[in-house]
Amino acid sequence: MAQIAAERYTGASIKRSEDPRILTGRGRYVDDLKLPGMLHAAFVRSPLAHGRVLSVDASAARELPGVVLVLTGADLETMTIRGQDPLFAMMGAGGPMPDYSLLATDTVRFVGDPVAIVVAESRYLAEDGCDLIEVDYEDLPPVVSAATALDPGSPPLFANLGDNIIGPHKRDEFGDVAGTFAAADVVADFHIDVHRHQNVPMEGRGCVASFDPDSGFMTVYAATQSVHVTKMAVASRLGIEPDKVRVLAGDIGGSFGLKIGASREELAAAAASRALGRPVKWTEDRSENLAASGQAREESFDVRAAVSKDGDLLGLDVQMVLDNGAYPVMGTMVPSIMEMMLPGPYKLAALGFESTAVATNKASYIAYRGPWASETFVRERVIDLLAAELGLDPLEIRLRNIAPRTDPPHMMVTGRPLVGVTSAESLERVAELVDVPAFRRRQASERAKGRYLGIGMATFIEGAPGPRSPEGSSGLMGMEHMRLTLASDGVVTLFTGQMPHGQSHQTTLAQIAADEFGVPFGQVRVVVGDTDVVPFGLTGGSRSATMTGGVALHGARQLRGKVLDFASALFEASAQDLEIADGDVFVRGDPDSAMPVAEVARQAASGEFSVDADTAFEVEAAYDGGEGGWSGGSHCAIVEVDAETGIVTVERYVAAEDCGALINPAVVEGQIRGGIAQGIGAVLLERSAYDADGNYQSATFMDYLLPTACDVPRIEISHLETVPLDADVNFRGVGEGGMIVAPPTVVNAIEDALAPFGVRIYEQHLPPARILELIAEADAG
Amino acid sequence: MADITVSVNGAARTGSVEPRKTLADFLRDDLDLTGTHVGCEHGVCGACTVIVDGRPVRSCLMLAVQAAGSEVTTIEGLAPDGALGTLQQAMWDSHSFQCGFCTPGFVMQATAYLGEHPDAGEQEIREALSGNICRCTGYQSIIDGVLLAAQRSREA
Repeated sequence: MAQIAAERYTGASIKRSEDPRILTGRGRYVDDLKLPGMLHAAFVRSPLAHGRVLSVDASAARELPGVVLVLTGADLETMTIRGQDPLFAMMGAGGPMPDYSLLATDTVRFVGDPVAIVVAESRYLAEDGCDLIEVDYEDLPPVVSAATALDPGSPPLFANLGDNIIGPHKRDEFGDVAGTFAAADVVADFHIDVHRHQNVPMEGRGCVASFDPDSGFMTVYAATQSVHVTKMAVASRLGIEPDKVRVLAGDIGGSFGLKIGASREELAAAAASRALGRPVKWTEDRSENLAASGQAREESFDVRAAVSKDGDLLGLDVQMVLDNGAYPVMGTMVPSIMEMMLPGPYKLAALGFESTAVATNKASYIAYRGPWASETFVRERVIDLLAAELGLDPLEIRLRNIAPRTDPPHMMVTGRPLVGVTSAESLERVAELVDVPAFRRRQASERAKGRYLGIGMATFIEGAPGPRSPEGSSGLMGMEHMRLTLASDGVVTLFTGQMPHGQSHQTTLAQIAADEFGVPFGQVRVVVGDTDVVPFGLTGGSRSATMTGGVALHGARQLRGKVLDFASALFEASAQDLEIADGDVFVRGDPDSAMPVAEVARQAASGEFSVDADTAFEVEAAYDGGEGGWSGGSHCAIVEVDAETGIVTVERYVAAEDCGALINPAVVEGQIRGGIAQGIGAVLLERSAYDADGNYQSATFMDYLLPTACDVPRIEISHLETVPLDADVNFRGVGEGGMIVAPPTVVNAIEDALAPFGVRIYEQHLPPARILELIAEADAG
Repeated sequence: MADITVSVNGAARTGSVEPRKTLADFLRDDLDLTGTHVGCEHGVCGACTVIVDGRPVRSCLMLAVQAAGSEVTTIEGLAPDGALGTLQQAMWDSHSFQCGFCTPGFVMQATAYLGEHPDAGEQEIREALSGNICRCTGYQSIIDGVLLAAQRSREA
């Protein structure tokens, strides 16, 4: 007898189906693979920030027993096809195209730039081989700062560009910028810096490339956010027909934007495998990861704000210089997203935004969780600075300027509708949760005792996926696809191009499909990570909740319809009168008629039924994001700053988030907390530091400090009731918000704590030494 | 090469290793126990933590030859019959982890710590696990899992 499931899986903190293997050591990460005949790769890397490669002598390495192959940059030029980074190639913003080789041939452009690959019987021997390779370099003047790179006389990193402008200067205006500034009561100028920091997943990059010389097929086992983007990169750069490239991925130890496509090292390993006809593994070690995998942020902003004396934020005029590091990956794509997002949820009626991206002799600027996040930092920092200037409360000035939710919705001055945005509610929620007046009283009494407490708030919106555009799709990266099948064992299988690396898709997508189709959670299987069977897709941009959740829902609905169409013949009832629940098909109102979906599938597959209905229980679903919508929220931190040591302690952290309908609250909260921890790390600990000569200073975990369990407080999360926009799909992405809004939240709190000293903060990285400097500078000023 | 015998998860395992080979690489490459993960190779992140003679050890900082004659427990040895142990179950129930790469180190470190400090409170657990880095979770769910395991063990 069919039991209607009393509760839906969607919306419940279902335990993750990923966990049993992860908790017992049975996860399968790329470095766990061992193929017959497999060799191991290591790289010779540049010790110089900028230099000319005069010669590479690999003779001693080639003679070392156990070393099988050495390929220099010049060798690889003959075996591969020049091209751009796969992410850049897919989404690049146009502009200058630097010409460079897969591994360095004549020029090295940052400390860690790969120069040669050594392939040996073990990683130990491959590294021994690297030690035997003699590279003669001639020093070139390093271009270490954006200011140097902007100088037309600076030595160009790329000969074909002639200068170091990699993203040409561009200025856009929205609204009446000149008129707004001319009419404003107050015009204030700020220079704000965001420092370089980086993803640091606990698992670095890596791959096993396995070329079969007999068939000409290349199989790459990858750690990637998209097996298909990796496949495109391998096929195009190695000159292999795409049909002969298969990319597989298992468990992935985090990424946060790092592992998209195929890196230069992975392409070199694949080329080596093809040359040898044997599998080649490359596993990035931690110093390679910190020095060479890529780094993020590092932008400077000159901000001019037009504001009324009552605190109406009327206009912003922002000039940004982005330090792209050496090679183009993400740096030239970020400015246009920042420009679009800079107004945030505010009424801001005029925006001037100009940007220039420059190449420098540092690791490449890559995507890191909320790649455009500096716009939120700048805006939320400027609002607090303006509040201080005008003597207004930071919460009040925010609430005063947030666009009201109207119908039709308020349009951001940059063009997108602020539909369903709950920023005012989330600000009020965090203020209520922390009890601001009570905190102010405690702050005053503690200050009298020499303890410096501060409170900070910040708010953000994220296009995850963003509201539906007139062109029809709400997803930034187009449609999402999914193949769904029902097999004779009654299992519904979802084939998705999402490539989870911590996001729990195996659980969350199964929750949605189980509810929509009508089978128990355990009867849904989610297949990822094989270009031969999954559709194109990419995990990134906080895309999957809406886009993949949506395609799972609609796809499961289509599959269910197909099954019911067939079952109507079996049951001699119309499909409209049939239901599927808890794994059984039955006639509505007649639970005794129940037949397991497995039995229905077996009957369909038996071919014994000459019915008109389609008996292939498979659908190819596509979803455009429906009505889409914004994610967003407001965070509040309470910090204590020790004015003697400069140590900042986050005493309390409260987040009010709106990501629409929650698929799995525990998963959502994990994403939020993880992002906040990264944001706290970015402010208090993490910095990808270079010295004046471009030597990398943060190549170990003793130098690049990550937050530990003692640095991150218990984070309180409050979920706001959503404003539903779509008839079916109101899940919105939540992957990036914590990292986007935590840095301004924490910095605002630190400035508030240091108000008695008159400290003003125009930067994001505030380790103890810098806190003490800020106090001393304010004292001196 | 040096011939060594190590007791791993209760079974005597032998190997012929270069003296420079780390215990982590011996476990992963020679014994195919890939549950132990290598996260930094300089003893900071804790992902490679295993239990050697009752104490948590960074297997990236210990040579395989140093482990000769010792008793080593890896994550594969915690639930040999396929069932989850108390700590693993509590971590599953608490949604402790996301990508799972740091997981074996946390599980082994917490196993060793709870064994000696069954009544530990939150702050003590945070300090005991502060030598293990997780980049995904912000730690709260991990701490909650350890606290839940401690509570269940006390109530058992």
